[in-house]
Amino acid sequence: MRTIINSVKLFWLLLAVPGIAILHGWLTGGIETMDMIHPTGEMGARLMVAAMLIGPLAGLLGPKRWLLWLLARRRALGVGAFAYAIAHLVFYAIDMGSLEAILGELPIASIWTGWLALALMLPMALTSNQTAMKLLRTAWKRVQQLAYPAAILTLLHWLWIHDGATAAYIHFAPLVLVWLLLALRKLTKSQPSPQAGV
Amino acid sequence: MRSLILAAAFGLAATAALSTATPAEATGKVKCQAGPQSGWKNVESLKAQLTKDGWKVTKAKVDGGCYEVYGVLPTGEKVEAYFHPVSFEKLYVAQRGKVLFRKSGY
Repeated sequence: MRTIINSVKLFWLLLAVPGIAILHGWLTGGIETMDMIHPTGEMGARLMVAAMLIGPLAGLLGPKRWLLWLLARRRALGVGAFAYAIAHLVFYAIDMGSLEAILGELPIASIWTGWLALALMLPMALTSNQTAMKLLRTAWKRVQQLAYPAAILTLLHWLWIHDGATAAYIHFAPLVLVWLLLALRKLTKSQPSPQAGV
Repeated sequence: MRSLILAAAFGLAATAALSTATPAEATGKVKCQAGPQSGWKNVESLKAQLTKDGWKVTKAKVDGGCYEVYGVLPTGEKVEAYFHPVSFEKLYVAQRGKVLFRKSGY
């Protein structure tokens, strides 16, 4: 049982469940195409934040067992985020119906931020494997750091598209909170104690 | 220090996004004080009127006491629009969050 729970494949499957559920709804006619855009995008953002939280949380709390468990699954979260972002784009494209209509919306701030975020996620997703890690060596980490501008663009995309600003803040707040706590800890550690030098 | 910069960057992005939004956008909705629904015109009449005007209506529902319509303008833009449920007056039209029209006071 423990082996099944700890299976990374099961984790991948769990990440796919919400996507499979809404895809089933769409295929059976219960969900309209335009209503597929928001949930796929939200799920993508959710997994992106989850993947980005694990590292700073480990820095903040130390090597906890549950964090190590999550750390081993961070790649699945990141690739899952990209897969949902692609689904988000696919349903947007189906809903728009033509390339001309898609290009027509490109200058809108809420749209180009989404495109740019996805463009930044692409090299991260393509290099999320052991072979790329070995080939790129130190450059691999720089590629993965594209997550930061991609996340900022995702937040802007969400806020500007004007489809639930509160939900956007709720999703991204944990990330900001963890970074602030990390910064606070570093600042307090760098301050000399009152007894120093006595 | 890097974590502080990252937190600040997100804070700035969120502030910038909000500063470009009007109060109507910040709430996510346009509000109509239109009285009880028994006094409203039928949403099907609104859809018929818009179709006659050249719109392609995808979906219409009640939101914030107004009729919220998703559709395509005669000029081809895919929009989200709000109409007063009694007068059918156009109150707000936005294309992917970019406001194309907003009646004063809404």
